[in-house]
Amino acid sequence: MVSESVIATRIRTALAEHLKRDVSKVQLQDDLKKDLGLDSLAMIELLFKIEETFDLEIPNDDLSQITTVGDVVAYVEHRLSGAKGAPAARPVAAATVAANHPEAEAPATPKPAAPKKKGSRRA
Amino acid sequence: MSAARAKPPQPRSVPSPGTGRRAVVTGLGIVSPIGIGIDTFWKNALAGRSGVTSFRGFEGFPIEGYRSQVAGQVLDFDPSQVPSGVQADRYDRYALLAIVATMEALGDAGLRMEREDPYRVGVIMGAGMGGMLIGEEEFNKLHRNLRPNRVHPNFIPMITLNSASGIIAITVGAKGVNLTISTACSSSAHAIGQALTSIRTGQADVIIAGGAEASITPLTFAGFCSLRALSTAFNGEPARASRPFDRARDGFVMGEGAGVLIVESLEHAQRRKARIYAEVAGYGATSEAHHMVIPEEHGVEMAATMQLALRDAGVRAAQVDHINAHATATPIGDPVETAAIRRLFTKRADHILVNATKSMIGHTLGAAGAMGGVSCVLALHTGLVHPTINYDDPDPACELGGISTEAQEGPLRVALLNAFGFGSNNAVVVLKKWSESSARPRPR
Repeated sequence: MVSESVIATRIRTALAEHLKRDVSKVQLQDDLKKDLGLDSLAMIELLFKIEETFDLEIPNDDLSQITTVGDVVAYVEHRLSGAKGAPAARPVAAATVAANHPEAEAPATPKPAAPKKKGSRRA
Repeated sequence: MSAARAKPPQPRSVPSPGTGRRAVVTGLGIVSPIGIGIDTFWKNALAGRSGVTSFRGFEGFPIEGYRSQVAGQVLDFDPSQVPSGVQADRYDRYALLAIVATMEALGDAGLRMEREDPYRVGVIMGAGMGGMLIGEEEFNKLHRNLRPNRVHPNFIPMITLNSASGIIAITVGAKGVNLTISTACSSSAHAIGQALTSIRTGQADVIIAGGAEASITPLTFAGFCSLRALSTAFNGEPARASRPFDRARDGFVMGEGAGVLIVESLEHAQRRKARIYAEVAGYGATSEAHHMVIPEEHGVEMAATMQLALRDAGVRAAQVDHINAHATATPIGDPVETAAIRRLFTKRADHILVNATKSMIGHTLGAAGAMGGVSCVLALHTGLVHPTINYDDPDPACELGGISTEAQEGPLRVALLNAFGFGSNNAVVVLKKWSESSARPRPR
């Protein structure tokens, strides 16, 4: 098994603290609502904590794509890799470099190919 | 201190409590994003006009930082509209909106305070947030300059949640019961319900009842954004942002305004030959004892509150023709209210005319019950139910046969006003159409 990214560890640890349970009881495949019992307010609290920790802005439109712990990790890794919006399909597991420097978020000058922040929202 | 005290007031007439007196609405006043004044409001409401516009942001706070960028603002309000005796700079915007709505309602009711026993006229207002603007400004100033002596002397009286009910009483000389109810978004529905209670028990002959809110302020607006309660998907199309029951709804739109109803004992109204709009017939008040911001998901508790209100009014579910729904356009709230309506009214649910005032003015929080109350009373009085705009693609989870994007006409006899608040709090008021035959005594 591939060793877990720093981001995944931080997110699982934060969730375990929030839920007051051992971190081993928070697995990537766990559904945040069904398995971990988060209600919609707790989901928002979790996202707020993630936004603060990783200095991210998570638009409401992206929330629907986050249902499991693994989705949260993939989303954060994807965003920290410099891309905006939710990951395209399968979680990207290789963002460990960015994970070590979460504060080095997206480059200040957007690359021409990168989708604009506003444009990624549904009208 | 030892100086002679004023004699306690000697009210002219006090009925014995618990006389079960009936309460009627004799006057209305409104300050809303679709008009100041009942005539403008009702004309625009029937036409389905939206009062939601692009929000330019706050001084020093670029709107780009806010997730939601639309709001239902009263853009044509100007502090010069308050009565000349009111020193506008001493009051928060929400209290000024309240006093303007009150003066209209008193005029509409033809109530002359000089002819009334002032101790028999009370004020019960709802407010969810209170004087947030002054609160935020002074808080910010203190944290910046660390000079406590520079906090404005009117900060406390302006931020206090009962400044609206206070200024109303002071301005009109209403010396009876004076209360402010703060139960978040159900505040002013409770105010109307408690007005009924005051009339029934003989506490007062007239209650100036309603609610006011003006909390589109940097911190409060940000707080609702952070709660992810606000619409963000229609920032470029403000008029489409508030869409109760629609599939594309994605949160509520912050609104501001004030609504006031003159609630009066039937005897008192008849004695002074007042025009009667409707009867306030029943009131249900409950706590879901469930969750601070999430309603009980099957609608059991909302249905129970509606049922209690109907029982209080002595009305059967089969007699209900119209519901002014709470319907804020959040993804969670609307389906729960729909489920509650289906649960209580079963087959009749699709035949009740249901509308959402918030589709046009946004969610005015503590004033929402009063805005809905004014709409409900006007519906009963005119036989017209205003449209629910932006209900373009009905969400199957909150589809009801009686919701329409057009104004609807019907023989309306009984209407419900629904309001549900954070803090697991529910209020439902039953209103009945008034006609001459309504005045006949009936068993309760």
